[in-house]
Amino acid sequence: MAITGAVSKAFAHAEEAPVSERDLDWSVVERVQAGNVGAFDQLVQKYREHIFSVIYNMTSNREDASDLTQETFIKAFQAIARFKGKSSFFTWIYRIAINTTNTFLKKRSRRRYISYENINEEVTTSEIFERLTAKSRSEKGALIHELQEKLNDSLQKLSPKHRIVVVLHEIEGLSHSEIAEITNASVGTVRSRLHYAKQQLQTYLKDYIS
Amino acid sequence: MAKIPIQPQADINLEDLLRLKRSERPSEQFWNEFDRELHQRMLQTLVKKDPWYLQVVRAFSGRILQSAAIATAAVLVAMIVVRPAFQSTMQPIYVTDAQASGADVIGASFEVAMTELTLAEATSLPNYDTDVISAEASSSEVNFIRDFGMEQMRIASYDASAYSTDSAHARVAFASTGVASLVY
Repeated sequence: MAITGAVSKAFAHAEEAPVSERDLDWSVVERVQAGNVGAFDQLVQKYREHIFSVIYNMTSNREDASDLTQETFIKAFQAIARFKGKSSFFTWIYRIAINTTNTFLKKRSRRRYISYENINEEVTTSEIFERLTAKSRSEKGALIHELQEKLNDSLQKLSPKHRIVVVLHEIEGLSHSEIAEITNASVGTVRSRLHYAKQQLQTYLKDYIS
Repeated sequence: MAKIPIQPQADINLEDLLRLKRSERPSEQFWNEFDRELHQRMLQTLVKKDPWYLQVVRAFSGRILQSAAIATAAVLVAMIVVRPAFQSTMQPIYVTDAQASGADVIGASFEVAMTELTLAEATSLPNYDTDVISAEASSSEVNFIRDFGMEQMRIASYDASAYSTDSAHARVAFASTGVASLVY
């Protein structure tokens, strides 16, 4: 999957995490386990944006995503003494985030208001902005926001288990095997869910995409 | 926001749209606030405060146990100290005819009544089956007459039929409000 520009920088860790980042994370975890509580902040700084992104795209709510991201790190902090390093810290923290989010989504009886993050126009311009057939820049901006709204609505129509696969693969850029490890599913199941979820999204967004 | 129709033939596919979501990023200000709140919550975790409901239960149970202990101690002290002291100072009350008010009590003294109580009577089981107390009856044992202003009063016994009896020569008037009042 081609990941370019600022996006590739932000998500590059995901590709490397199982190999090199794992040892680096483990050394930080060991320092925290030894009593250096401040070292945990390194892990927060490293993973907070990715955890937030996953949760935000699962909930489509900025405030909920912020709370749940904090809750994820608190849980990780409380349980880090029991973390034995059988999986990578990256997999472990993603799993905590997904479980926390799923619990929240089950409790949430009905959808709350949706609050979006602002789109970073530097990325947007280079990716899609120029492809829109609208004439003026303001019209293109309005179209982008409408597409954002429709996409979030469509994502929320998917079941959590299908949504998480789309979010982790298409937005976070994780591989099928990484998603399988995080979600405790087989690679085949991940592929199947991804295929079904994308079909569903195509149906929901048929008036907006080619 | 006004909806602008999008032409489906626009060269945008699903992957492009999903990639669009990667550009939804919080500002630096958001992360500063996030870090501040997270550090605060982590410090609270380190302090390990119990949940509020446990604190409430503990506080209340402590107070209740403390109060119960004090109350029990007070009752024990009262039973040990006050009761024997009260019993030791209890003496028979001698009331003579001259001392008694003629309007209220007429007849024998209390001492006579006490001395006439035999052991057998004292140990026998009390009889609560009395159906009729007559204010005008000749009370030879107690020997006093008290005028209550009515002839007799019937007390309800364990017999269910007695509850319906109204022979107290008193008129029970039921007010419209549903409250019964006894009129002599």
